[in-house]
Amino acid sequence: MSTDSNAMELTERLKLIEDMIAEGRHGQESWGWSFVLWGVAYSIATAWATWGRSNLAWPVTMIAAGAVTGVVASRMGHGHPETTLGRAVGAVWMAMGISLMIVLMCLAASGRYDGHVFVAIVGAMLGTANATSAIILKWKMQFACALVWIAACVTACFGSDTAVAVAFFAAIFFGQILFGIYTMVLESRRRRQRGAAHA
Amino acid sequence: MPELPDLNPVIHGKLRLALLTLLTGVEEAEFTWLRGKTGATDGNLGAQLLKLEEAGYVAVEKKFVQRKPQTLYRMTESGRTALTEYVQALKQLLGAAL
Repeated sequence: MSTDSNAMELTERLKLIEDMIAEGRHGQESWGWSFVLWGVAYSIATAWATWGRSNLAWPVTMIAAGAVTGVVASRMGHGHPETTLGRAVGAVWMAMGISLMIVLMCLAASGRYDGHVFVAIVGAMLGTANATSAIILKWKMQFACALVWIAACVTACFGSDTAVAVAFFAAIFFGQILFGIYTMVLESRRRRQRGAAHA
Repeated sequence: MPELPDLNPVIHGKLRLALLTLLTGVEEAEFTWLRGKTGATDGNLGAQLLKLEEAGYVAVEKKFVQRKPQTLYRMTESGRTALTEYVQALKQLLGAAL
């Protein structure tokens, strides 16, 4: 075999390694839907609690959204291997969800629940989870979502009732619903590209 | 002039190299996932995975999930070392060839 063809074969092997690393990293996970789902759940819970004046609004909506997320995620994950990166990001969201649920339930039970405190806690926790995910995944758009939630948290500390309501709904819309739709579009485009590459 | 390294023949096969590289990114993978990623046939995939298993580069676990058989493959520590050494040798050879 000539030196040229030998070098070509070796380069081909190196390219194969790069391609397979990229292929292995591309999870089949698509999480855009969960951002939209939780954004809608927050909106329903807020509307129900405000106009329906029910103490059950938040617990019922959050538990229902959690159950739907769990069922859909377990079906989606079937047959797809877990990556270290995926587990790290999943752990951040799982820990955030558990902490948020416990804190809010304790606040509600102790009677120290207040709109400002609620938005400050939700904003800080979602801001932290989004920022951590964004840093792990090196994703600037998600970091922008983190900033939106942190802005809502800061507004809750200093702003009026109206400002807090506006900041909370803006964070839900931009940080959950719009970001979720954007992620879903990206995921579907990526799947199409990969389908074309495999064809 | 330093002596050029030999490439590990177990890893050098295209499909085996692809399989080992895929397994570096995941904790464990199902046979069907590996088949989907490589586009290999069941027979060829099984044969190449067996060679990797015999070399001690992958570990196999067979179990039943909801009464369906499931075969999981995981890269071993010696597989990881062998692949790292292979990549280093490949780079060294390419450096000498170019």
